[in-house]
Amino acid sequence: MFEIGLGHYLTLAAILFTIGVFGIFVNRKNVIILLMSIELILLAVNVNMVAFSSHLGDMTGQVFAMLILTVAAAEAAVGLAILVVFFRNRGDIAVEGVNLMKG
Amino acid sequence: MLQAAAFYILAGTAVISAFMVVAARNPVRAVLFLILTFFSAAGLFVMLGAEFLAMLLVIVYVGAVAVLFLFVVMMLDVDFAALKEGFLSYLPLGGAVALALVGILSLTGISWVVSDTAGAALQTPVPPDMSNAEALGSILYDRYVFFFQLAGLVLLVAMIGAIVLTLRHREGVRRQNIARQVQRRREEGVELVEVKSGEGIG
Amino acid sequence: MDAVLLEYLPVLIFFAIALAMGIGFIVAAAVLAPSDPDPEKVSTYECGFNAFEDARMKFDVRFYLVAILFIIFDLEVAFLFPWIFPMFEGNIFAFWSMMVFLGVLTVGFLYEWRKGALDWE
Repeated sequence: MFEIGLGHYLTLAAILFTIGVFGIFVNRKNVIILLMSIELILLAVNVNMVAFSSHLGDMTGQVFAMLILTVAAAEAAVGLAILVVFFRNRGDIAVEGVNLMKG
Repeated sequence: MLQAAAFYILAGTAVISAFMVVAARNPVRAVLFLILTFFSAAGLFVMLGAEFLAMLLVIVYVGAVAVLFLFVVMMLDVDFAALKEGFLSYLPLGGAVALALVGILSLTGISWVVSDTAGAALQTPVPPDMSNAEALGSILYDRYVFFFQLAGLVLLVAMIGAIVLTLRHREGVRRQNIARQVQRRREEGVELVEVKSGEGIG
Repeated sequence: MDAVLLEYLPVLIFFAIALAMGIGFIVAAAVLAPSDPDPEKVSTYECGFNAFEDARMKFDVRFYLVAILFIIFDLEVAFLFPWIFPMFEGNIFAFWSMMVFLGVLTVGFLYEWRKGALDWE
């Protein structure tokens, strides 16, 4: 209980991941919260990477965590850019209308 | 003991604020809770010995991504109460999926073991006498050079994508052209006119 | 491991003190301040008129573009930090790998310059 090991961090990452997935299912109308849920999921992945890296004593996990960070930031930037264009064209940000973007 | 207390406080903050991100009524508040989640995750990274990543998390997320979200939240003039409307109707499905996920994850959670050979299979063992950033720097730029370049390309694509999507030049806006301004000669700007006294120009 | 964590103990103490002070002031304000609200007193007030519009204002999209470009270059700088260490060791390969990385992002920078994404109209 008081000895913090790998299992504690993996449990935390699992909880964060579940909350992220839950958020995607619950917030269908609000794309901003959807994107934030994706960020939460990526954070959970990062926690896993760093926990294993620290536990096994291998730096590779941290290199990959850094790449995940890069991808997360790029995803947020492009996702929000799409959101801005979508809002400009439609006037709201509900996901139900996104299939109108098809050609 | 202190370590355990720090872990539980940080992990508890992370989980509670992550849940508030999902459940908050006001998106601005959700963004602030997202910052709190990342901040406590950075604390956990410090506890794991990944100091550089912890600082990166604070700089990149708290400094940039969260600011970005705040911008969008404030930029979009949306009725947020209407956006939250479907929350209760989607709750059963979301709850079911979350429960299934909890089941799957706890199944793996009770059955995993670390292999005996895991220690021998390390690609890049942590160097004992280096700081975290130094150890990262010793492998990121030559051993993982392709991933590093890939990160550069991802950033390039994000940059170009954002510009292509959001940049709209307004019509009829007069811009300053500094090169032309500097190159302007006397002949273009000044005209000498012989004026006869008492007659004026024209 | 523990030696590293011990270096962060002052940070922990700092956070504890900051948290205690923040909560203390909020609680003190809630307990000590006189509170006697009535509908007229707490209503929005704008020089004698009722408020004309929402307090929240829309931002221009151009601010967003600046913020996005900031993020990209923020990450670029983050990748530059650990680069110092191979440089001290005289690692030529690491030097050129960073130069390629910077070159790729310079292409993006030139693109946004030519497109006028940095102009403020």
